[in-house]
Amino acid sequence: MNLTKDRFGGLLFLLLSVTYGYYAADIPLLPGDKFEPFHAQTMPYWLSGLGVIFSVLLIGLKPVQATENESLSKSNIVLMLGLMAFTFAFSVALPWLGFPVTTSIFLASSYWLLGERRPKMLILASVPFALVFWLLLTQVLDVYIAPARIIFWLE
Amino acid sequence: MFEGVFTGLSTALMPFNLMMVVVGCFAGTFIGMLPGLGPISAVALMIPITYTLDPSSGIILMAGVYYGAVFGGSTSSILINAPGCASTLVTTFDGYPLAQKNQAGKALALAAYSSFCGGTVGAIILIFAAPALASVSLSFQSSDYFALMLLGLTSVAAFSGKGQVIKAMMMTVFGLMIATVGNDVITGAPRYTFGQMDLVDGISFLLLAMATFALAEVMMTIMRGKMFSTSETMKPVALSSMKLSMSEVKEVAPTVARSSVFGFIVGVLPGAGATIASFLAYGLERNLAPERLRKMFGKGALRGLAAPEAANNAASTGSFVPLLTLGIPGSGTTAIMLGALIAYGIQPGPRLYVDHPDVFWSVIISMYFGNLVLLILNLPLIPYISRLLSIPPQILNPLIIFFSIIGVYLVSFNTFDIQMMVFITLMAVGLKMLDFPMAPMLLGFILGGMLEKNLSRAMVVSDGSFDFLWNRPLTFSIMCITVIILLLPGLLNMGRRLSSRLLSAAD
Repeated sequence: MNLTKDRFGGLLFLLLSVTYGYYAADIPLLPGDKFEPFHAQTMPYWLSGLGVIFSVLLIGLKPVQATENESLSKSNIVLMLGLMAFTFAFSVALPWLGFPVTTSIFLASSYWLLGERRPKMLILASVPFALVFWLLLTQVLDVYIAPARIIFWLE
Repeated sequence: MFEGVFTGLSTALMPFNLMMVVVGCFAGTFIGMLPGLGPISAVALMIPITYTLDPSSGIILMAGVYYGAVFGGSTSSILINAPGCASTLVTTFDGYPLAQKNQAGKALALAAYSSFCGGTVGAIILIFAAPALASVSLSFQSSDYFALMLLGLTSVAAFSGKGQVIKAMMMTVFGLMIATVGNDVITGAPRYTFGQMDLVDGISFLLLAMATFALAEVMMTIMRGKMFSTSETMKPVALSSMKLSMSEVKEVAPTVARSSVFGFIVGVLPGAGATIASFLAYGLERNLAPERLRKMFGKGALRGLAAPEAANNAASTGSFVPLLTLGIPGSGTTAIMLGALIAYGIQPGPRLYVDHPDVFWSVIISMYFGNLVLLILNLPLIPYISRLLSIPPQILNPLIIFFSIIGVYLVSFNTFDIQMMVFITLMAVGLKMLDFPMAPMLLGFILGGMLEKNLSRAMVVSDGSFDFLWNRPLTFSIMCITVIILLLPGLLNMGRRLSSRLLSAAD
């Protein structure tokens, strides 16, 4: 039995369903709930069972058609992971550096990562955009955005 | 009913709401034109904006975006042979060959007129069909709702395509599993929170929609290297005259009429949606066409372009019927709208017609305005809107990522949500690489809470027995349809195999 893309997906889902079912036992029940026809653990147990059935079917069944592996270059995967890392960094830096600074850095670095090398473009498409967007939110739409924590920290 | 129509008309005609239709259509057209980003992503990107609006205006904006995105998808299908969404894939079959014959203007005009007719027919049927179904569904009980939701979930999976049924079912189960995260809807017991306070309220629908559709789509585009593509096919062809001759109009008129009604009916079926409608309408027209015209299909046939365009727009309208009357979305896009309505505190379903007639009717009326806007404003502006596609992808993609994450952040003001988005996006990218469809997961997630609530009620009423599935004729009928729909792809497949074996044996 070859480990096709479908079977690999099926195995992953089987693992997920079993883990999901295992943790269903941790869901706290109210006193007397065990005697009720339906309680907080019922749905998770059923879903876990269904997940296991579908996973086994996907692993066991003969693939309808051989799916071709999409050719994804390593450099593009690195780009994607880089963007995700920047997004994560954005979430961490946002409370500390504030909205305009974090947004400007995030946008400029993402443009750079995707191949934009002109310094003028990097700055013009990030800093004014971040400032205008921030002003739009705070001054026009009256949305409260917390100031950068670093300001209080420096004080 | 007419009182409701007037209420809807007065709400939809409010200058602000009219502006929302125009803005929605423009924004939708632009987003829909971007290859990879379809109506689901377009509507998902609009959700944070709609949270600042009242429910009617918010849903009107989303409906406009929906139409605009389908229209934008057709435009990119015709001009650059890159469908913006699955429902406009069929448009490339005859739309792009027409554009290559230097008839891009005519193809765009025909697509717009067909879409308009499809949308108009759809809106007219909707005006009569929706209230009728809503009044019938007032007598529905929890067991009927449970059966209907099961029907919706299985339909989405069953229509997912060859070899995808089990995967779609798995994704539906996965969506239902995600819906159980957070405090239990009935007892309030924390489930799968692992002590994290941020998970007590469950995973936000907006976060999931943005991560799996907007962010994951951008990431897939980047990974496939499409944003760096410089192939000839990605360059828009020049537009020509947008006029259609009288004989051409006569040729496509019956096609448009047939496909509109057909598309609406397919769209009403939960889970079927615009993609299936466009494929079926194309196939139907091809079979109905005389031999001479049949040969033209795939080479720039006007009928081949008009049929899927009329059908997908009528189906988009049709998919609002189960959403507005039963609270069950008919497609991925309407699933997102359902989530948005629930976030407003409005529960779509039979009571929507009674409790919020302004929302119910204004959505229906504004759909028609949306079609008008597309025809009157968007079509002449296509040459200018398509220029927006010239924004360098290295600038455009980070901006889409930014709007996706900031949209989620501005609702919760919690940076944990952005981190969660990163995690879900990576997971969605992995699942997409393994060819798992995302729409069933989102539908499962959205319907999860309601499904559990109704199942729980039905089980309690029947004292833990499953006889509620066959005791009520309505529940039993819906369950029978569900089973038939679930078995249909397998039976059809077996039938095809059997007939091919018989044919080969006869040879």
